Amino acid sequence: MRIFHNLNVDFMSRRKMFYILSSVIIVLGFISMAIRGMHFGIDFKGGLEVVLNFEKPVSLNEMRAKANQIGIGNPEIKTFGTNGILIRTDVQNITQKQVEELKSYTENMFKTLNSNIKYNLVKSNQDEYIYSFSNADTAQKVVQILLDNGAQAGRVLEENNETLVSVRLSLADYIKMKLKNLFPNNDFEVIKVDKVGPKVGDELKTTAIIAVALSILGILIYLAFRFKFIFALGAVIALFHDVLITLAVYSLLYGVIPGLNLEISLTVLAAFLTLIGYSVNDTVIVFDRIREQLKIYKNIDNLYKHINDAINKTMSRTILTGGTTLISIIVLLLFGGEVLRAFAFTLFIGIITGTYSSIFVASAIVLDYSLKIKKKIEF
Amino acid sequence: MRKYSFRLFLIALFTILSIYLLYPTYKDYQNTKEIKQKLEVLKAKKLKENPSIKKNELDKYLYQMEDSIRNSDPSIAETRAKRIKLGLDLQGGMYLALEVNTAKMFEKIADKKADGTFYQILKEAEKEAKTSDKPFVDIMIEKFKERGIRLSKYFGSVREDEDKIADDLRKQSEDAINRAMEIIRNRIDQYGVSEPSIQKQGTRRIIVELPGVSKQEEARQLLQGRAQLEFRLVKDPEYAAKVIENINKVLSGKMKVDSLKDSTQVVKTDLADNKKEDSVKKDKKQTQEEFLNENPLFKYMQINPYTADGFVEEKMVPKVEQLLKRADVRSVIPSNVEFVFSAKPEIAKDGKKYYTLYLLNAKPELTGEVITNAQANIDPTTNSPIVTMQMNSQGAVEWARITGANIKKRCAIVLDGVVYSAPVIQSKIPSGNSQITGSGSLEEAKILEIILKAGALPAPIDIVEERTVGPSLGQDSISAGFISALLGYILVAIFMVIYYQKSGAIADVALVLIVLYILGILAGFSATLTLPGIAGLVLTMGMAVDANVLIYERIREELSVGKTVKAAIKSGFDNSLSAIVDSNITTLITGFILYQFGTGPVKGFALTLMIGIFTTLFGALVISRVLIDWSTDKTNQISIG
Repeated sequence: MRIFHNLNVDFMSRRKMFYILSSVIIVLGFISMAIRGMHFGIDFKGGLEVVLNFEKPVSLNEMRAKANQIGIGNPEIKTFGTNGILIRTDVQNITQKQVEELKSYTENMFKTLNSNIKYNLVKSNQDEYIYSFSNADTAQKVVQILLDNGAQAGRVLEENNETLVSVRLSLADYIKMKLKNLFPNNDFEVIKVDKVGPKVGDELKTTAIIAVALSILGILIYLAFRFKFIFALGAVIALFHDVLITLAVYSLLYGVIPGLNLEISLTVLAAFLTLIGYSVNDTVIVFDRIREQLKIYKNIDNLYKHINDAINKTMSRTILTGGTTLISIIVLLLFGGEVLRAFAFTLFIGIITGTYSSIFVASAIVLDYSLKIKKKIEF
Repeated sequence: MRKYSFRLFLIALFTILSIYLLYPTYKDYQNTKEIKQKLEVLKAKKLKENPSIKKNELDKYLYQMEDSIRNSDPSIAETRAKRIKLGLDLQGGMYLALEVNTAKMFEKIADKKADGTFYQILKEAEKEAKTSDKPFVDIMIEKFKERGIRLSKYFGSVREDEDKIADDLRKQSEDAINRAMEIIRNRIDQYGVSEPSIQKQGTRRIIVELPGVSKQEEARQLLQGRAQLEFRLVKDPEYAAKVIENINKVLSGKMKVDSLKDSTQVVKTDLADNKKEDSVKKDKKQTQEEFLNENPLFKYMQINPYTADGFVEEKMVPKVEQLLKRADVRSVIPSNVEFVFSAKPEIAKDGKKYYTLYLLNAKPELTGEVITNAQANIDPTTNSPIVTMQMNSQGAVEWARITGANIKKRCAIVLDGVVYSAPVIQSKIPSGNSQITGSGSLEEAKILEIILKAGALPAPIDIVEERTVGPSLGQDSISAGFISALLGYILVAIFMVIYYQKSGAIADVALVLIVLYILGILAGFSATLTLPGIAGLVLTMGMAVDANVLIYERIREELSVGKTVKAAIKSGFDNSLSAIVDSNITTLITGFILYQFGTGPVKGFALTLMIGIFTTLFGALVISRVLIDWSTDKTNQISIG
């Protein structure tokens, strides 16, 4: 089987048209980013994210209505996998009032052990409460009750003959407690908790930017060394193009496709870096052919023709590799599960634009540059 | 055939090596499956015996049983250590980033000198530290300078130089994180998490990874609770030996215990009995087996004849702990004493790790709050490491009494329930200034220094990042990843065969070997496989055929200009080499950077991607080449579609 055999298309003649096409998409993306904003996951934004798996299915609307009663700002509610519900809030710290509420809830839990149980609040600070009980055995049982109910964290302290129980009250506990009350007949299991402090989020953002900048720099240096600087520049511009287009798609399609959560998270960042790698990979294959053509045919006046020839000759490889990679990406998109979906989607878009940009951005820029400076490129 | 022998040998070698490295992973998978089946049986049995058993009790029971099954056969643990490790996102567990709250620590240091201005400054510095990369202590010192307040107002003494106080504060802040690491490591070791990872990140952050922890609340509590440092007297060897003897009697069934009876009484009456029995026993010579049957505890531990300390091999520790917790055993251990393990094992001559089991007074003589400072040093006269320790005046008085009354006895330094050191008290120490000798190395002494300070300066720990993945989500991710990888391979393989026929099939064979090598290398480096790592594997499969495609397209081109099969193959490989190398190196650059900057799962992805690149190159340039050369050798024909 052969496709694109002896292809002879004048790709370069249409480069202006594709410049315009790319620009339009990128500008649209910028407009969308300005209006709709970029959506960052809690990795970069900071916040609290809890994923719950309910025994019986819960509709999103029901969950939204109930989540608003919890009193944790304006939480985001999403589906996660088949039966899961994701609750996310920017609120990081528990308020005094909520602590009080949790406290009385906890104390009621002590009473389920024994209705006239004796306890004393010995010490309290911010979100930790220390209770004393009549003996070590009771203290042990209290901790067990707390852990069984899943909502609270308790630990017997060694001081005072193990009669002290420390209870720590956190926001995640508060949310769980509230939900237990709001869904009394529908038990749930916490399958994922992510809590990222605001400082950590900022740090991750900085690291991400450094990582992307360094990879681009590394690629630029390597290609400038292996080819000519203009080739390196063409490849890097193509790469920016791919990242911008993918970001544009992210912003434009955010919330449009159900089940696809297009937020910039750490995994998506990894996908962006991979797409950078793929995009350059593809560009290098075309460049390699151009380099070869220029080496073989010492007649280097006609760069236009050589670039077209190189693209035509590598076209079947471009389509094939793009095709097989896309196959595995689509498999990941469909079967990779919730966690990998955005990752696979990024690569899906990235591979398409990466292939396109090798021809209409990277090669075209090399051509336009050499036409402009009217200098021959030699190897 | 001969001209290929070296390359074929290489391929065979790598394949065998990969299979060898992957065997433990397979074996561990089988073991886990078997253990699960056994547990199911036990669960059913337990439920039958006690239908109303609570879920958490059942879980606890099953957890203990799993532990004992795993510990019963060392080969299970061995294969487990050599398997491909699964990341937290695949097996479930907790990831925590902790930061030492230095502000709270300085509050404690300033103690009574702290006033409104002091708190104001701390608050401001805390706020600024949230957005700054500078250490908190530097920001705080600057704030003091800005306001023209001398540090000596709150820290150190008036006569001290400002710069020296500032340096001291910096040192204390640095110490705090080391101390926190040591405390956390100690607690996690005790908690019994398998394969935990505790790392320092930057100057003030600690990254803790706890695979398979299901009770998040408990783990969180574990990390944040205050450290308890105690000095507890070690019981005399005679006393300890008697207690151990009694335990052996209970275990061998020689002594029936009425659990309602007062435990101390049991011991008392028994101490008298023992003397008679001892003399009788000496007459008989026992065989080893008889001896062990009469003293079941000695199946799991050995005893030091001089100190009566127990030595328990690492893998036996859970067993001994379990025995000591039994109600009948507990009833013969007087309530004012307690068995406590050492924090770290000693490596014996046989290469095995042994923990020491001490019998201590249950009540501490003194707690760590009285310690004001500790310092590890090399003693210039003896050239061996010593740790010096100072106490406040109140502690010094107590210490003088304790040391005076217990000369030549041992006093254990216990942190969070494990013994770090049990030095012998040489003489009465009147001033509180003590010297602890006998540390094996300066490093060991440093740890002791950290431990001693833990009692004095509790540095509260804040959790700044927390990620928990439940086991069910991890299981889902594993199967999703596995299905994707398999399906991805099948589709790509079919496609290649359709398009390139026999040569396509050769590429498919190379691809299987590539995946095998990647997994083998991951196992060999005991790297961690994460979900993005599986994605990297799937992606590698898509991209691995790229090199083959490049080569095959080139061969087709060369054939179409009329070259012979042999010549076409040769120039096909030669001409595509530069493209293959250049394109893979650029991907390698991004992979490397991802590895440097990524955390957890992303790192796993970068690693598989990088390994994938190398194996891909090998697959295309060596495996495919040999197979193609070989298959065209006789017929001089190539099937390439």
